Amino acid sequence: MADRVLTFADEKPAAPGSRTDEVLIGVSPAFADFFSQTITGMSHADVIRQILAGIEEQEVSARVVRIRHSSDLAVVAHTAAKLSGSGIAIGLLSRGTTMIHQRDLPRLSSLELFPQCPLMTLETYRQVGSNAAQYAKGESPEPVPTLNDQMARPRWQAKAALLHLKETEQIVKGAKPVEVVPQFAQALAN
Amino acid sequence: MTEPTLDPTVDYPLSLHRQDLLFTPNGKPIAEITMAAVMAGEVAASDLRITPQTLRLQAQIAEKVGRNQLGGNLRRAAEMTAISDERVLQIYNALRPNASTKAELEAIAEELEGQYGAGLLAGLVREAADVYERREILATNE
Amino acid sequence: MTAVTPQPASIPEKRQSERTRVLEERPVNLDGFVQEWPEVGMVAMDSAFDPEPSVRVRDGVIVEMDGRARADFDFLDQFIADHAIDVASTEASMAIPAGEIAAMLVDPRVTRDEVIAVTKGLTPAKLLEVVKTMNIVEIMMGMQKMRARRTPANQAHCTSARDNPLQVACEAAEASLRGFSEVETTLGVVRYAPLVAMALQIGSQVGTGGRLTQCALEEATELELGMRGITAYAETISVYGTESVFVDGDDTPYSKAFLAAAYASRGIKMRFTSGTGSEVQMGNAEGRSMLYLEIRCILVTKGAGVQGLQNGSISCIGVPGAVPAGIRAVAAENLIASAVDLECASGNDQSFSHSPMRRVARLLPQLMPGTDFITSGYSATPNYDNMFAGSNVDAEDFDDFNTIQRDLQIDGGLQHVKEADILAARHRAGKALQAVFRYLELPAISDAEIEAAVYAHGSRELIPRDVLEDLKGAQQVMDRNVTGLDLVKALESTGFSDIAENLLTVLRQRVSGDLLQTSAIMTRELQPLSAVNDRNDYAGPGTGYRPSGARWEEMKRLRHVTSAENPEVEVD
Repeated sequence: MADRVLTFADEKPAAPGSRTDEVLIGVSPAFADFFSQTITGMSHADVIRQILAGIEEQEVSARVVRIRHSSDLAVVAHTAAKLSGSGIAIGLLSRGTTMIHQRDLPRLSSLELFPQCPLMTLETYRQVGSNAAQYAKGESPEPVPTLNDQMARPRWQAKAALLHLKETEQIVKGAKPVEVVPQFAQALAN
Repeated sequence: MTEPTLDPTVDYPLSLHRQDLLFTPNGKPIAEITMAAVMAGEVAASDLRITPQTLRLQAQIAEKVGRNQLGGNLRRAAEMTAISDERVLQIYNALRPNASTKAELEAIAEELEGQYGAGLLAGLVREAADVYERREILATNE
Repeated sequence: MTAVTPQPASIPEKRQSERTRVLEERPVNLDGFVQEWPEVGMVAMDSAFDPEPSVRVRDGVIVEMDGRARADFDFLDQFIADHAIDVASTEASMAIPAGEIAAMLVDPRVTRDEVIAVTKGLTPAKLLEVVKTMNIVEIMMGMQKMRARRTPANQAHCTSARDNPLQVACEAAEASLRGFSEVETTLGVVRYAPLVAMALQIGSQVGTGGRLTQCALEEATELELGMRGITAYAETISVYGTESVFVDGDDTPYSKAFLAAAYASRGIKMRFTSGTGSEVQMGNAEGRSMLYLEIRCILVTKGAGVQGLQNGSISCIGVPGAVPAGIRAVAAENLIASAVDLECASGNDQSFSHSPMRRVARLLPQLMPGTDFITSGYSATPNYDNMFAGSNVDAEDFDDFNTIQRDLQIDGGLQHVKEADILAARHRAGKALQAVFRYLELPAISDAEIEAAVYAHGSRELIPRDVLEDLKGAQQVMDRNVTGLDLVKALESTGFSDIAENLLTVLRQRVSGDLLQTSAIMTRELQPLSAVNDRNDYAGPGTGYRPSGARWEEMKRLRHVTSAENPEVEVD
């Protein structure tokens, strides 16, 4: 089976949501753009598909917004949360770091944080989607079990720093969030 | 009453050597913070805080051992004892980047001076306001 | 001499040496190493893009610093120029050649006070220039003299992968017995904080009282817990070395200085945190080396009048660890903090390498000379439970650590403790927490849970708690305004008088402010010990702190030591 490729299309200015049963997914400047996979080589297409599936399972709708003015996860997630009709959003960086945020929380706080991007799995992303949707419905899901690999830092931290530098280079200062539609296409066969 | 002159080599720790100088914000001598008093309901959570007088004594000790900046911090802290927890957190949040306009910071400085007699803290806030303006990290009026 | 075996033509790959295969599989080759990239700051301390040291004073104000004019100062420059550097002495001190200042640091016959008289007038670039002349041994010699408190101490992380408060209480009790003066916790789920912080507070006062506790959270939340007396001090008040990264961290030197005074105004001890590599990791090092930017953080700390600093790269250790001379730079940043008269909680708290040899090599520049806190977070649990994403040293290293202390006669603050004593302390902590939870109408802790926690190595051996019920209980603690004083009453009412008394003693220190002085901890006799009444008087061989007497005897004990009197048995 060929890998799917993700592109974001139909850009328009991101408007605050009116429906409370929605989750926003905030993606960073280089997500599915300059980069197409996470630090461990998981495709962005698969990551988004899993998150959307998790949200859909809870019968909640989803919108995706591209944040271009910052590569900071908390900013990405919180900006999306403030646009979200439910106040709940998921923030995603290209290398895979993720958080679930809520608009009334301090920016540097969160509902759930997944700081070790090398440990993320497709299953975890699906659970993140599902939990975010449950928060959106006003429920209190059991937090996704925290992943912890103490060797992630020695192994990956420097590479993550270099990836982050690259993502930060893609920042457009002052750019406003835009709503996008994810499009999954089959990659060309080798 | 003038502040006593301390000798760091003799008087510190104050809790051991100078209990006579230590009181809670409610005026209770530190020696009266005993388990019996706690269980009798005579000690409030507000007793377990430091007074501005004690902070200035610790500032004196810090300065006498050559730590002027630490002394300055403790003197600012002495001013801050008068401000409620809630207001302290609000002012802290107002000093974060892009959180306040220059006018809002000036108003805080005036409040610190006028309402709390906190000249040192007001100075810090005014300094911040000037630097934030120059570095463009004040809130924009939206 | 063996004959060369001819290579069959059908094998396409080059033959690998067996030795290479063995070496490839060594843990060190799982670590991340990168090439230097000075343009973006991916370099430890040797960068052509760091500024040249300079200072100019006019009318009592610094108008130029490290090649930048005052009008161009960013907020770090301005804060440092206006608050950190001693204006009266700066021009004279800056005129002293860097090598000469370095020699003062190394030379045991130059006193700590004499060094500080010079360092207080130095700019970041000058301090960098000074340490660039020093090799790792010289840096360690300097550290030995310049640490603020004479007696070294140590700090532990007490966390649980499940945020289980019972586990944290037990770990805190054991950590207390093992010798840690401070214990720190954090959460996977922030909302669990009140219960876990309470558990840390209670557990840490079992066994040896006077241990100081902190809970690492977002700034305003951490302050709130401190104000309530549920924690005793704060540490993770972060400062950063570039303006852009500082702003990303949602603070400025000014807001942090205000926050520092806020803690002091409530009688609560605190220190800032910084570390090499944070700026490049957050994507904005402005082209400066890691150590140059860290020195700016150290001077911001100094300028704010904060008593101390946690540094030594901390959570970014993978970044200096990946480049040449990174660990030398890390030792240098600890030295500089001490050299400007700050308390230094010197790192070693974050998983740094897959290689046991590298982990020890990274630890020695702090352990050998001694620092105020050799580690700013020894994982008191196995690393899989460490919610700071792993420490350089963990519970499985305890016996090795104690052995190295004994081998080299260096005091890392710890001692071996007999299993029976540890189990008793863990049990007491569990029962105390159970009683307090019952008293405060929080979700119950069962005897079975306690039994499991007492004998556990980590959270895998625990009975899982009902997290959602605990989270409701945690919210209750906040809503009902539970304070440290309430914990004292709860402990006293439920028959845990000794623990209650220890906790009250710690809380009472807020009234005196004794713990606000530089490098303050509490002794086993529950008395304040700081750089004021325990001044580092190191002045060469035979002077300063050396483990001796009862302490040395304590350090000699290990798990298995053969008796000299009767070699067929072990010392009890």
